Amino acid sequence: MVGPTASLTPLARADGSASYHCPSTGSNILGSVNAPVELPGRRDALKPEDATVEVFVKTGTAPASVGERYVEGIIRGVVGRLILGRERGYARRGVVITLAIVGGESVGRADSHLTLLPALLHTALLALLSASVPLSMTFSATVLSVDASGKITREPSAEVAAAAKSIHVLAFTSKGHLLLNESEGAFDFDTWEKVRQRASAICHGTSTVGADGDIAMVEDADGQPLEGTIRETVEDQVHRDYAWKIDAA
Amino acid sequence: MNKEAPLSIAERDFILNALREDVRLDGRAADQLRPLTVSFGEEYGHVKVQLGRTSLIVRISAEVTKPHDDRPFDGLFTIAMELTAMGSPAWDNGRQGDLETYVTNVLDRVVRHSNALDTESLCIVKGVSCWSIRADVHITDYDGNLIDAACAGIMAGLQHFRRQDAVVKEGQVIVYGLDERVPVALNITHKPLSVTFHTFDEGKKVIIDATRKEEQASEADVVIGLNNAGDVCFMSKFSGSPVDAMVFVDKTSVALEKVKEINAIIDKALQADLAKRAKSGMLEMSRAENDRELEQ
Repeated sequence: MVGPTASLTPLARADGSASYHCPSTGSNILGSVNAPVELPGRRDALKPEDATVEVFVKTGTAPASVGERYVEGIIRGVVGRLILGRERGYARRGVVITLAIVGGESVGRADSHLTLLPALLHTALLALLSASVPLSMTFSATVLSVDASGKITREPSAEVAAAAKSIHVLAFTSKGHLLLNESEGAFDFDTWEKVRQRASAICHGTSTVGADGDIAMVEDADGQPLEGTIRETVEDQVHRDYAWKIDAA
Repeated sequence: MNKEAPLSIAERDFILNALREDVRLDGRAADQLRPLTVSFGEEYGHVKVQLGRTSLIVRISAEVTKPHDDRPFDGLFTIAMELTAMGSPAWDNGRQGDLETYVTNVLDRVVRHSNALDTESLCIVKGVSCWSIRADVHITDYDGNLIDAACAGIMAGLQHFRRQDAVVKEGQVIVYGLDERVPVALNITHKPLSVTFHTFDEGKKVIIDATRKEEQASEADVVIGLNNAGDVCFMSKFSGSPVDAMVFVDKTSVALEKVKEINAIIDKALQADLAKRAKSGMLEMSRAENDRELEQ
């Protein structure tokens, strides 16, 4: 299993940006964050003591459709829970997150947008970190598809997702709590529980699965937990940015 | 908002006075482009353009649709550009500003209306089905001269793009996948590009490829679109103060030189990419020739 690759701050004009490539779903996302910015006409927002989070998903090769608006809503919900919008300088200001799908197959009008969701979420998170927006925690997310025989596929390609019986997106916080659960299709609770365990193992490694040796073998194939990948990407960037300081010490 | 923060008076004067002494902020000559790099992604028609600190991504895509009723022999070609907060914090997501309307209009004129892409070759069955080609321009960093960068990106994308092969058999349209048949290149009739000039000091100083700050300090802009053969397909003086007619006459030859320069950069990048693909792609597998040892 080839893990995702990401880089921080590839853009010059935006306050923070990240590019993210997931080889198994083939998605390639570029994200930017501008924060805090003045939002005109939002002075009397519903929550005056909080920051307004705006998410915009830009399609790669097709006109914008309802699918993107649906995904935007989910991302806004997740990210809104993370951002400390009451920090100094953020109240009544806006956090504008722009995510452009710059590579990979475009999602058709009737296709599920869930396969793209983890990549979009990770890009948004990395861009927020790059923009130094105060966050309460980080997270990692994954998408799993279950086919008719009950086989679970991690980060399915477009064809696998189209043939799947159900698709699940799960996100876990850095402390291991379930942050997001979006599912599509028909499934029963046992299936969901299996999916949750597998997702948790993908995001946080096998330690959370339990002492079942058999499962641990399977999960080893998933390689490094996603949480670690995200953490390392940021660590590497910080190392590079502070090279002058580290060398001097 | 939708407007960049204005230049301070001091900055504006500095740029202007420097230009009076024939000096630009980045040390270029008046008719010198910023370094332009064109690179291609994995998919066909995925282009990255970097012009100085302006960068953008163009993606070309094709799908089968029904042609317009009044033009049953023509395929469709659309250029979609949306300025998002990614390119510049001054742009609002989902709100169209003046710049977006202007640039989209110029691109439409230079590339689409000059028939750079032969839309008749996109017809599959008269009045029933045709290819719809779509060029999406994603601005990732904005530092002036959006028009020329986007134009170069779209033209490079159209030349790089390969659509699936479609065949009509017994009244049925069969579209072969990219791995079933060698994909088909688009039919490009000519390669028009735009060159944008900005004027300063009551039209006495004219520069090309202005950066964002130079654009803001300028009085007016002149866009000339032409192809390698020197056919002018677009000329505009959209807004700002008047420009002497001689500027148009003089600068058209400069524009031609620059168009040739940019087209050469695109061609070089295309050749390099095709050579890379030829080694590892479908083209090699679908080749009908036998490998032969050359004997002497």
